[in-house]
Amino acid sequence: MSPPLSPLPSPPPPLLSAEGIAKAYGHVRRRQVLRGVTFTVAPGALVGIVGENGAGKSTLLKILAGALRPDEGRVELDGTLGYCPQDVILNDTLTVAQHLDYFAAAYRAPNLTRADALVDRLAYGQYRQAPVATLSGGTQQKLNLTIALMHDPQVLLLDEPYQGFDWETYLRFWDLAADLRTRGRAVLVISHLVFDQARFDTLYQLRDGRLEAAASPTTPDTPATPAVPAGAESSPSAREVRS
Amino acid sequence: MISAWVTSVRYALIEQARNRFALGLLLIFVPVWDWLFGILIPPGPVAFNLQSSHAFLQVDGRDLTVLTSGFNAITLIVAFMIFAAARRDGAFDRRLVLAGLPRPVAVAAKAAAIVVVAALVSLYAALVLEAFWRPVAFGAVWLGYLLDALTYGALGLLLGVLVSSELAGFFLIIMVSLIDTTLQAPIENPLANKDFLAGFPSYGPMQVAVSGGFGHGVPGGGIVLALLWFVGFLVAGLVIFWWRTRAWNARGRRRVRASTPSVAAGNAGAG
Repeated sequence: MSPPLSPLPSPPPPLLSAEGIAKAYGHVRRRQVLRGVTFTVAPGALVGIVGENGAGKSTLLKILAGALRPDEGRVELDGTLGYCPQDVILNDTLTVAQHLDYFAAAYRAPNLTRADALVDRLAYGQYRQAPVATLSGGTQQKLNLTIALMHDPQVLLLDEPYQGFDWETYLRFWDLAADLRTRGRAVLVISHLVFDQARFDTLYQLRDGRLEAAASPTTPDTPATPAVPAGAESSPSAREVRS
Repeated sequence: MISAWVTSVRYALIEQARNRFALGLLLIFVPVWDWLFGILIPPGPVAFNLQSSHAFLQVDGRDLTVLTSGFNAITLIVAFMIFAAARRDGAFDRRLVLAGLPRPVAVAAKAAAIVVVAALVSLYAALVLEAFWRPVAFGAVWLGYLLDALTYGALGLLLGVLVSSELAGFFLIIMVSLIDTTLQAPIENPLANKDFLAGFPSYGPMQVAVSGGFGHGVPGGGIVLALLWFVGFLVAGLVIFWWRTRAWNARGRRRVRASTPSVAAGNAGAG
């Protein structure tokens, strides 16, 4: 007699759910950007969204982050949120250290331990006392990303978070993303780079205002998702990652 | 809340302190402006309509012009300082609020920064004035300058959150300041004592500074008029700031259209 089958453990509830998100721009000539986007992100999931320029990727992330109101739909978020916007949003006159202190106050973070660790990990500690206006675009983007991660949020919305990074920092970012996934964080990344796509657990393509499940890049016979080109990560032409 | 407010005010003031152009303008423009008017305008009697006594005050035209030229300088500088910061910080303030900075804290910090900047700039202008003319009551002159600096600081905030073009904001500040402060000065405008000028922002502050500066006390009506302008501009600016920093799903309070379910959004802000 075979032993009774134990029920499969139910999957953990998603940390982020979007249902029927619709958004149009313009009053006279309305341009429908999102037409009912529905998806979830579970704990420990690293989800990618790809799409052509103007497909509405950043609009979707702004809506998820609360920065933009959708015309229809709902977002449910279970936990704290970190949002790294596509544009670097910093104060030119304040230093790196002052930004971290200011956002620690906004997040009500008890200390700067994690922020300091992120600064070290992204290797820009030597610029702590430098005003943002004096930093390179890549270093500004490191701070832009650090601000999104410094309160160790459960859900991360990252809009092309590695713009302007050199290759080493780009790889460090993906190490960081892997750590976040391991620690059960829900990570949503907007990407436009073909060779990123193998890194995601789930990949969606935003097309005609709708989110389509792109085939997993880990299965080689999937025409919907371009395969990672062999040797892409060591290609000299790919050493600077820019939008 | 209090510590977040202190942090916000501190960084708002640090940002102002790093506005080297405005500080340079302040250090040089105010004394040069006072000095120029001091040498251009010859001494001589001129009448100034004092609202508190409904009487014309006979004062020295040179002294009066040096005093009123300070209004011209500080209104421009304070409005520029606050306007530039408000425009520059629009997206940054929004990010801070999305990250969890309470909007009342952000609003209170904006107001406090205006008060501190106005107080320091007006104090400096009143001290510079001492080098060209000794008013009877220094405190009254400072108060008059402070009231106008507050009004124009609040106007700078309003324009900073309202106008889409930096150039448009700068031009508006220059035009408003020019019309307002020039029309109030009897030497520059023969109609300066007309009653309709009581409706201008600098009327109350100028009444306070001239009356006190020439030893005729501080008119309460001038203070009230000035504060009305200040509060009006400030409330308008802060309401727009409040609206611009809204988050549609912050802490689950927002709803999207009646046809869709309520938003059960997260319990902490976004970065």
